Amino acid sequence: MLDGLRVLDFSDESGFLAGKVLGDLGADVVKVEPPGGDRRGRRAPYLHGEVDPERSLAWLALNTSKRGITLAPASRTGHDLARRLAERADVVLDTTVPGMAGEGPSVDALCEANPRLVACSITPFGRTGPRAHWRAGDLVAVAMGGNLHATGDPDRPPVRCSMPTAFYHAAPEAALGILMALYQREDTGRGQRVDVSLQETQLQSLLSAPGQFALHGRAMTRSGARLGRTREIWAARDGQVSFGLRGGPARVANLVATVEWMAERGQAPDWLRAYDWQSFSHLSVSDEEIARLEEAFGAFFATQTMRELYDEALARRILLAPCNDARELLAHPQLRSREFFVTLDYPELGASIEHPDFFARTADRAISVRRRAPRIGEHNAEIYGELGLGPDDLVKLGAEGAI
Amino acid sequence: MGVFDGLNVLELGSGAAGPVATRYLAEQGARVVRVESAKRPDFLRVLFMTKDSKHGLDGSPMYVLLNPAKESVSLNMAVPEGIGLAKRLVGWADVVCENFSPGVMAKWGLDWEGVKALRPDAILVSGCLFGQTGPQRKYPGFGGQGSAIAGFNHLTGWPDREAHGPYGTITDSLSPRYVAVALVAALLERRRTGRGRHIDLSQIESAVYSLSEMIVRQSANEEVEGRRGNRNERAAPHAVYPCRGDDRWIAIAVEDDAAWPALRGALGDPEWARDPRFDRAEGRLAAEAEIDERIAAFTREHDGLELAERLQAAGVPAGPVQTFGDLLEDPQLAHRGHFVRLRHAHLGELEFERSGLRLSESPGGFAQPGPNLGEHNDEVLGDVLGLSREEIADLAAREVVA
Repeated sequence: MLDGLRVLDFSDESGFLAGKVLGDLGADVVKVEPPGGDRRGRRAPYLHGEVDPERSLAWLALNTSKRGITLAPASRTGHDLARRLAERADVVLDTTVPGMAGEGPSVDALCEANPRLVACSITPFGRTGPRAHWRAGDLVAVAMGGNLHATGDPDRPPVRCSMPTAFYHAAPEAALGILMALYQREDTGRGQRVDVSLQETQLQSLLSAPGQFALHGRAMTRSGARLGRTREIWAARDGQVSFGLRGGPARVANLVATVEWMAERGQAPDWLRAYDWQSFSHLSVSDEEIARLEEAFGAFFATQTMRELYDEALARRILLAPCNDARELLAHPQLRSREFFVTLDYPELGASIEHPDFFARTADRAISVRRRAPRIGEHNAEIYGELGLGPDDLVKLGAEGAI
Repeated sequence: MGVFDGLNVLELGSGAAGPVATRYLAEQGARVVRVESAKRPDFLRVLFMTKDSKHGLDGSPMYVLLNPAKESVSLNMAVPEGIGLAKRLVGWADVVCENFSPGVMAKWGLDWEGVKALRPDAILVSGCLFGQTGPQRKYPGFGGQGSAIAGFNHLTGWPDREAHGPYGTITDSLSPRYVAVALVAALLERRRTGRGRHIDLSQIESAVYSLSEMIVRQSANEEVEGRRGNRNERAAPHAVYPCRGDDRWIAIAVEDDAAWPALRGALGDPEWARDPRFDRAEGRLAAEAEIDERIAAFTREHDGLELAERLQAAGVPAGPVQTFGDLLEDPQLAHRGHFVRLRHAHLGELEFERSGLRLSESPGGFAQPGPNLGEHNDEVLGDVLGLSREEIADLAAREVVA
């Protein structure tokens, strides 16, 4: 869908996924690494545990559909090359924290070289403002973005997701901002800056909770496996499932169906079989009653596997879901039937690896992984060749430390 | 000037995932018209409703906050005339967004074939939980189920405790971004080719796509990712520490070896921290529990924000764990104009939220709160479809507009 658009991707890990989104949409994304490779981005864990930047699984996962070059944008020659590449590009993506100049490209200079350029920065707090120079990776971004305080068990500190959700929110939002700016360029002929804040993109994970707090003043407390008063996460025989013991019109049928199912298995006590779900409210029912209900449901769930519970939930239209891990997702019949995973071959690494293939499906598979992540400097000859540089020039630039 | 001035968007569906996607477009000037009905109201309109709720379907803060600057037209889709009016609006729309269960749009003749017949260059985005195809496409879950199925619950919490997922329903905050990305990519493509598209987005798939690293690690190394609390497998210290006050905390993340001496200095260069084992990440990881205890003993005596300021000045990534109230007073968010205060007829002054992206040449924003149900019937049915006041009144009397 983005055929013909060229993106220069100077991002660190916080922006890898943004470039990947554009690449999977068909843009020609050129990942720019420092000479010798991106040491931070090509991080552990490594394929089969062998420490080698070419085997970084995070790199391979998040840089698909990109070509790759090496470039030291802060060196004089490198800066000149970056300008020449920017003249031929539509988009520059970078993640340099303001005030840390000298590490990344001079985006101002690149924009000057090409007024049609759309330049997107993903930074912890945005390009300007009192905390623009503050540093933050995922943990600090989710802390300052408001999600962390509300996540976790009441008797422990707030806790994050073990994968970087701040990056996962910011990256597609950056891709969106870039596409908006490209859309506007069709009218104006000019590019513009896109300023994405990790912290601010996190706030949307709260789904308007700050605004509700401003209105009601009711603080949100961490409730762990419970949601408000009732249990949300339950032990199955081999893992955990999510099931809301909550009332309300949208949930009555699901509660009735669950009790019927328990009764068929001989695991619904008489009082539960006669329960009046129509008038049940998790907001007004007594603590003792909640405990009695939870004991009955919990005892039943604990006798079944996650798979058994989910299969029945599907058949009976019950709002119950397994807490899947990656293994379960890779085997998931629904994802498999939609050909959600694609296998990429890495012959020089002796491996074939499955990747998610798209974030949305179209009949012609216009959104899909185009190619594996680039090796260090894999496309130097191709890309610098466009600038008229030949093999001898590349050797010279390599010796200078520019590429 | 907004990026999408002049763009017409028709939205059908309910909940958070759909509306958050079109909010990005509304923020940049698109005219977003929601088709709703009192007969089957958007569940966000009734989510927290009790017998005592004033203002009925128009008093839900969550609905109002997630739908700023949109228009609402009320059409009874249970009757053919209601469907007919919706079809005329499809003809008007550049973009149609829906997040019903698969089959609902088809029942009205508004599947892709139907939409294309009404508007050949339309872009239709269908954004339900599991996608339009496959054996589980009609699974009736909400975001809470999506978050569990997509793997986020399993990844969030403490290794010795139950899974619980990040606060909120993360498929509802991840998937709208991908809906909007796909949609604007299709608009760009249409400018070039003149052709529309149908985009079939599964909220769960877009969330798993975000977790590509986890999938690749499993596939390549058969390594099942689990919950690590706040720890980072490659960096230490990396945790949330108690601060002065009730339920106050600071996040500190020493992500590379250079940040360690910076942290040590900011802690006052204590004797324990000078242990040369701690100069490298491996050494700090090996002694993580001890280091965490020492740091906690220090942070407990300090105000979280003041300490974060001190650590940031020393070059250490650190930040107070902000409550919702803190966010409303955050000077950086204020600088970005994150909260937009608008008056709602029933709820009074409300804090609406901007997206996390700013465009230098197109500031965008919101001027209106989320609409009351059917608030824009006259504008939409009258100005857009050309119906007279009498016709609209007649449709309302016959509960076609309802």
